Amino acid sequence: MEIVTQKNPKRNAGPPKKSLSPWAMARRKFAKNKLAMTSLFFLVIVGILSFLAPYITTADVSRINIGQMGLEPSKEHWLGTDKAGRDVFTRLLYGGRISLLVGLSCTFFVIFLGTLIGSIAGYFGGAVDNLLMRFTDLILNFPFLVIVIVINAILFGRVSGLWVLIAVISFLYWGGIARIVRSKILSEKENEYITAAISIGCTPAKVIIKHLLPNVLSTIIVQATITFATMIVIESALSYLGFGVPQETPSWGNMLNSANEPDVLQFKYWIWMPPALMITITILSINFIGEGLKDAFNPKSRR
Amino acid sequence: MLKYAFRRILGMIPMLFLISVIVFTLAKLMPGDSLSGEIDPRNTNPQYIQEMREKLGYNDPVPQQYFRWVGNFVQGDFGKSTRFKIDVSEVIGERLPNTIMLGITSIIITYILAFIMGTYAGRKPYTLGDNFISGLNYLGLSIPAFVAGVFAIFLFSFKLGWFPSNGSVDIGVTEGTLEYWLSRLHHVFLPAVVLGFLNIASYTQFLRNDIIENSRKDFVRTARAKGTSEKKIYNVHILRNSIIPLITYLGFDIVAIISGAIITETIFTYPGLGQLFLQSVGTRDYPVLMTLTMLFSFLTLLGNLVADILYGVVDPRIRLD
Repeated sequence: MEIVTQKNPKRNAGPPKKSLSPWAMARRKFAKNKLAMTSLFFLVIVGILSFLAPYITTADVSRINIGQMGLEPSKEHWLGTDKAGRDVFTRLLYGGRISLLVGLSCTFFVIFLGTLIGSIAGYFGGAVDNLLMRFTDLILNFPFLVIVIVINAILFGRVSGLWVLIAVISFLYWGGIARIVRSKILSEKENEYITAAISIGCTPAKVIIKHLLPNVLSTIIVQATITFATMIVIESALSYLGFGVPQETPSWGNMLNSANEPDVLQFKYWIWMPPALMITITILSINFIGEGLKDAFNPKSRR
Repeated sequence: MLKYAFRRILGMIPMLFLISVIVFTLAKLMPGDSLSGEIDPRNTNPQYIQEMREKLGYNDPVPQQYFRWVGNFVQGDFGKSTRFKIDVSEVIGERLPNTIMLGITSIIITYILAFIMGTYAGRKPYTLGDNFISGLNYLGLSIPAFVAGVFAIFLFSFKLGWFPSNGSVDIGVTEGTLEYWLSRLHHVFLPAVVLGFLNIASYTQFLRNDIIENSRKDFVRTARAKGTSEKKIYNVHILRNSIIPLITYLGFDIVAIISGAIITETIFTYPGLGQLFLQSVGTRDYPVLMTLTMLFSFLTLLGNLVADILYGVVDPRIRLD
C-alpha cells in the first residue's frame, strides 16, 4: 500500500487569490446573518444535547413509575412527569434524538433519490426523461399522508420500526426534489463547458457528478433544509396520530400524543407543552437557516 | 383554452388507471377481504373464509378481480363496511357534508385573512404593521397544524371558553333552524382556521411580495404620471394583477385540505372523512379505508388538474407545450 503524504503539492503554489470564491462569499454572507446563525447555534445545541442524552440524564426513559404519575415540575423533575410517571425532560431529550434522526435520515434519502432521478432525467432527456418524469408525476399525485397511513396499516404487525417508517416516507416524498433538480439540470446542461466535457470524452456519470451537480448544489442545499423541516413535521404528525415511530419509543410527536386526553391538555400543561414548543422552535430555526442560505447563495442580494 | 383543458383531462386518465391499480394492490396486501367487506376480518374460522372466498370470486385470476372491482366502483358500489354493517357509500355520505363544510369554511377564512393582511403589508412594506404581519407569517409557516390545533384548543376552548373543543354541532338543537347552523359554524370555525393556518401565512406572503413587485412596474409609473389616486392604483391597477396568480392556488387547496382534514378532524374530534379514515384504520374496517383512499387519491389528482388548468388560464404561455 502506498502512503500519500502530499496529494497535490502544486495546489497551494498557485497565483495569489484576488477575489473570494462563490462558496466563500456565501459562507461570509451567512455568517453575518444574525438570525440564521442564532438558529444554527440553537439547532446544534439541541442536537448535541439529544445525542448525548444517555450521558446527561440518568433517569430511565421507558420505566413506568406508578408512584410518580403526573407530577408538576420540581427540582427533582425539571419538567415534571407524564401520566406513566416518566420524567418529561429525559423523554424530551430522547425524543429529540429520534425526531432529529428520522428527520435527518429521511432528508438524506429524499435528497439522494430526488437528485439521482432528477439529474438522470434532466441530463439524458427524451424517452428516459419522459419515463422518469411520468413516474415522478405518479408519486406526486398521491395523497402523501393517506398512502403512508395505509402502508403502515398493511405493515402493521408484520414489520415495524424506525427504518421502515424512514423508508416509506423517503420513497413517497422525493418527487418534488426530482422536479426541481431536473429543471435546474436542464438549463445548466446547455452551457458550453458541458459540451466541452462531453467532447473530451467524459462519461455521463462523470459529467453529472463532476460538472453538473456542483453547479446545482446551492439549490439542493436550500431544498434540503426545507425538506428537513418538513420531515420533522411529518414524523411528529404521524407519531401524533399514532402511525409513526412505535409508541414505546419516545419522540416529540409521540409525547404530544398525550394531548389527546382532555385532562392532560387542560390541566397538565408540562406534559404536552415542552414537545410542542420544541417542534415549533426547531422548525422555526430550520426555516431561518433555510432563508439565510437562500440569501447567501443569491448573488443578487447584498448585505 | 378548451382544447388545453380537454388535453389535460385526457392526460389524467392513465394516471387514474395507475392509481387505481396501486390502490387495488394495496387492498390485496391487506389481511382479509378489503374490497367488498363481505368477509369479516375478525372471523378466523378457516372454513368460513374458504367458503366466502370461493363465493366472492377471490380464487379468480387477479386481473379479473381488478376489473370487477373497478366496475363496481364506477357504479357506486363500494362494498360493505365491516364495522357498521351498512354500505360504505352510506357511511361516507353521512360524514361527507361535514368535511365539505370544514373545507369551504377554511378556504373562505384563508382567502379573506390572506387578502386583508397581504394587501395591507404590500401597500406599506417595511413599516411596523408589515413587520408584525411578517412575524406572524414566520410563525404560521413554522407551527405544524397539529401543534397549532393543540394550542388552539388549550387557549380558545379550555382557557377562554370561546369555542367548543369537539364535535360538529351542539346536542339538542333541531336540524334546519338558524340556531342549528349557527352552532355548526361555531363548531367549524376553530378547526377551519387551524386547517388554513399554513396557507394563510403563505398566501399573505405571496400577495405582499407580488404587490411590492408590481408597484415598481412601468404601468404603475404611467398610472401615477396620469394623476391616478394612490388608492385607485393599489385597489384597481395592482390588485388586479396580483390577485390572479393567487387564484391558481385553489387547486392545491383541495390537496391540502385532504391531508389537513385527517389531522385537524382528529384533534377536534370533528366527525368528517379524515376522522373516519383514521377510525377505519384503527378498527380494521378495510372496505371503508380503501374507498376513502381511492376517493382521496382521486381528489388529489383532481386538485392538481385544477391547478394546472388555472395556470393555463392565468398564463397563456403554458398552454403551448
